[in-house]
Amino acid sequence: MPDDLITATLTRTATADSDGAYELPVYPFVEPAELKGKLGRHPIVIVGAGLVGLTAACDFALRGIPAVVIDEDDSVGVRGFSSRGICYAQKSLEIFRRLGIYERIAAKGVQWSVGRTFAGSDEVYSFDLKKMRTHDVSLQPPFINLQQFFLEWYLVDRIYELGTVELRWKNKLADLKASDDHVRLFVDTPAGRYETQAQWLIDASGSHSIVPRLLGVDAHESKVFDRWCISDVRFGHVPPKERWTWIEAPFNENRAVWQHLMADDVWRLDDQMAPDADPEATARPGVVSDRLRRQFGPDVKYELVWVGPYAYRSRCLNAFRRQRVLFIGDAAHVMSPFGARGGNSGIQDADNLVWKLALVLEGRAPDRLLDSFDAERRYAAHQNIRITDRTTRFLSPPTPTERRAREAVLSLAREYAFARAFVNTGRLSTPTKYEQSPLAVGSGGGGHMQNVALELPDGSRGDLVGLLQFADHALLGLIFGEIDAIDAPQLEALEERYPVRFFCVRSDEGSTSAFPTVIDADGQLAAQLGSSGTDLALVRPDLHLAGLLDDASVGEIEHAVRTVLGIER
Amino acid sequence: MMKTDLTLKDPDAFYEAWLDAQRGLSDEQSAQLNARLVLLLANQVGDDRVLAECMAAAARPFSSRRSAA
Repeated sequence: MPDDLITATLTRTATADSDGAYELPVYPFVEPAELKGKLGRHPIVIVGAGLVGLTAACDFALRGIPAVVIDEDDSVGVRGFSSRGICYAQKSLEIFRRLGIYERIAAKGVQWSVGRTFAGSDEVYSFDLKKMRTHDVSLQPPFINLQQFFLEWYLVDRIYELGTVELRWKNKLADLKASDDHVRLFVDTPAGRYETQAQWLIDASGSHSIVPRLLGVDAHESKVFDRWCISDVRFGHVPPKERWTWIEAPFNENRAVWQHLMADDVWRLDDQMAPDADPEATARPGVVSDRLRRQFGPDVKYELVWVGPYAYRSRCLNAFRRQRVLFIGDAAHVMSPFGARGGNSGIQDADNLVWKLALVLEGRAPDRLLDSFDAERRYAAHQNIRITDRTTRFLSPPTPTERRAREAVLSLAREYAFARAFVNTGRLSTPTKYEQSPLAVGSGGGGHMQNVALELPDGSRGDLVGLLQFADHALLGLIFGEIDAIDAPQLEALEERYPVRFFCVRSDEGSTSAFPTVIDADGQLAAQLGSSGTDLALVRPDLHLAGLLDDASVGEIEHAVRTVLGIER
Repeated sequence: MMKTDLTLKDPDAFYEAWLDAQRGLSDEQSAQLNARLVLLLANQVGDDRVLAECMAAAARPFSSRRSAA
């Protein structure tokens, strides 16, 4: 048994008879300077030290920007009744690689390759990801399963290691007053209430955030409603390490059930409940135990790690930016858990926001750049909500007609490969392509660049994320074509004026060039850009492609750089 | 030959559009819509053998009961 797994009673679990629960780290409350009479104005205050708030905080720490994080709790992970993520998709893993915690995630987390889908007592179909052809070129896998609190734990460790960012535990936001150029915050702590100010406020305090209401930011809510109950358990006898999904589970009144593996041999069982079920009743140990016996047989031996009933309704704020306040993660959007799009899209919110806010704070980009955060991430939230609502519609058909359509799909899927494509048990989170982004330049932009292997200019074996770090998180100007000898000094002048670094991309070491050279030996970087023969690719610090520029003059390249920085519209 | 591998580019979008087309209809109207849809699609396929295979595949869950009766 791993040494960080301590079997003890978890007092934060309200309902479980938790023999197998985790003991989570507790962080100290430190009296903030404001309570000692110092009224500061912090460049950035982040509300909420959950997965998304900590991702943003860690990114600021990496850039040496002093942010302050306030959180009402003093630990990571479970608090009360809330759903928690277990699956981290490739883009998130690439972001964590950049933040420096990927190795820990990969060492602790688990991957599965065999998935089986059932309806009634029949297997509808199964698949093995290892046998499926993918176009994956990233150094990170398509996903890793891991309890969310481990990620939060690793992020906290990393933030303490980097310094710069101050984590304030047991600090609860009570009220705020927003104005044009700052936000006043009123924060409750065990040592009393204090006032502080933020140049920029990031709200990452989750679906129950008070900030949108205080600022009068409205939300659009969908009619979709669904109720589930999570039981995280450790079995005496380990089931096969596969993902099993029941669309109609006979042991759950023909409603859906998910069976997923996480770290430390903990299984997540997620049972769809009747819409009118009493959440507290569904989570009672006796009721959970009955459910497990119906699924695994009367003699099943297990330890209950955590139980959490939850319900959701898709919801999206009508603005992710209001003056100096920015909304990320569940504070901005809530969606069903299918495809792990909630947590993963929140991580991408942070990734999208931090480089922009860092440049604005440094005075290298106008604050208009932050409007592109609203445009891009609200578009992403709408896409994700649409995709997860489709899954909900498949799993809870709202009318007899839709139930008949699903029956047709399931009966055909048993026999024919094509019909399996309609079986919708969730579509795993993928990075959103920013169609019609205000930052798009040239052609073909908006999509995400996978983290391919590259040889870096210092000759070391690295990857695209490593190149971004080498470039100190600037925009990457990747030159595939030849550079005119006259243009080179002018491009160097652009590097002086703007946060952009140019690199020549070559497929072998033979050729020399005016700029530091990156070796793309397998041609995977070039292949991701689609068309061959591109002269210059402008890549954003969140590794989305801003666009391809063919046969561009230095003036056109400068205009493109200024567009990506929000200077030009 | 009836194709059994996926040919649609975005099956989720088709499924959603198909359900949306039936939203708010009565059972009878929905059945009528689907009958019309079958005829329209049959004309797109335009191949008697393929259509016969598709009909046989669609009828399979009900064929044993019919022969027993």
